Amino acid sequence: METHVSDDSVPLALPLLRLAAGSLEVTTLYRELRKPLLRYLVCLGLTSDEAQDVVQDAFLSLQRHLASDRTQENIRGWLFRVAHNQARNRQKSYQRRFSEPLDGEMDFLADDATPEQRVLEKEKFRRLAAAVRLLTESERECLLLRAGGLRYREIGEVLGIATSTVGDTVERAIKKLAEKCNV
Amino acid sequence: MCEFQPKLIAFLDLELPSEEVAGVERHIEGCEECRNRLAGYELVNETFDAYCDAVMAAKTRRPIPHWVPVLASAAVAAVVMFLAFPEKRMEPPPVLTPTITAGSVPGPMPVLAPPAPEPAPRKKMHRRHAVPAVQERAVKWRPTETAVQIAIPAEAMFPPGAVPKGLNFVAELSIAPDGSVKQVRLRQ
Repeated sequence: METHVSDDSVPLALPLLRLAAGSLEVTTLYRELRKPLLRYLVCLGLTSDEAQDVVQDAFLSLQRHLASDRTQENIRGWLFRVAHNQARNRQKSYQRRFSEPLDGEMDFLADDATPEQRVLEKEKFRRLAAAVRLLTESERECLLLRAGGLRYREIGEVLGIATSTVGDTVERAIKKLAEKCNV
Repeated sequence: MCEFQPKLIAFLDLELPSEEVAGVERHIEGCEECRNRLAGYELVNETFDAYCDAVMAAKTRRPIPHWVPVLASAAVAAVVMFLAFPEKRMEPPPVLTPTITAGSVPGPMPVLAPPAPEPAPRKKMHRRHAVPAVQERAVKWRPTETAVQIAIPAEAMFPPGAVPKGLNFVAELSIAPDGSVKQVRLRQ
């Protein structure tokens, strides 16, 4: 088994790699989609540990799913849907935590940024965080899935809503953010 | 409001039906308002993406383990002590070797409490003075200090039931100058 050192401080899950050792496809998908999935889950409100557990479970499910000779056309959408549902199932205090704003420790900025850039960046994030707080849960989830690279149809599949509804929700959410952020 | 505005975000997301794309592109070239809005939406997208990255980075950053600062301060303290008191490292460990023969014991010697050697002198001690210091301590030693402690269970000394459970005795032995036991005294 390969020993990986993650490039983003998120360790790769070894049990998964052991299971997926025979499947090049799943291993490739894992490298490709692990980070977007983690980011989605963490931004939804899960802790880093919870998010890593969910991602690992989602890939284990995928491994079982493919091993049982079932085909899956849109694996990315499928993984996000499984991860999304697992996140909902795991969260006892779903309502409270999912309604939490996306802010938090916002002291993470590029190391080479000048003090002025840092101040501007922080202010930009602060305004965005305030605007995100005013979004509905559905708007926030749509934007997060969209930021994860999903198409409207895939977002609709994850959230169980129509593609046209996703389009309307995304448009409403982006306009709200643009208005509040004065951009 | 420009009639193309509701299509701008779908256009940006490549979600617009292909037959509408060309029309929107042509319109944007001539409509400054739509161009500005499009630029604003793109900026929101970029900011939102950077914001998600920042949240992810902040949440997945590994905190420094608690023992790291503790260990670091301990190391610093050790270095400071080493530099501040360099002569201390030459100090030999206190050697307490009271050499007593039976004949030198002048009187009764209670044999109970554990040996309680006097604490080593805290004054600076040079290696060359270590041996006389130990000799001095040997002279000062008093036979009243406890030398040996022996624990004998009550069951071994009394018949069963004679002593209530949990009751312990301490035996004090007096040693005669010839080394024999002169007196045994039990106390509770």
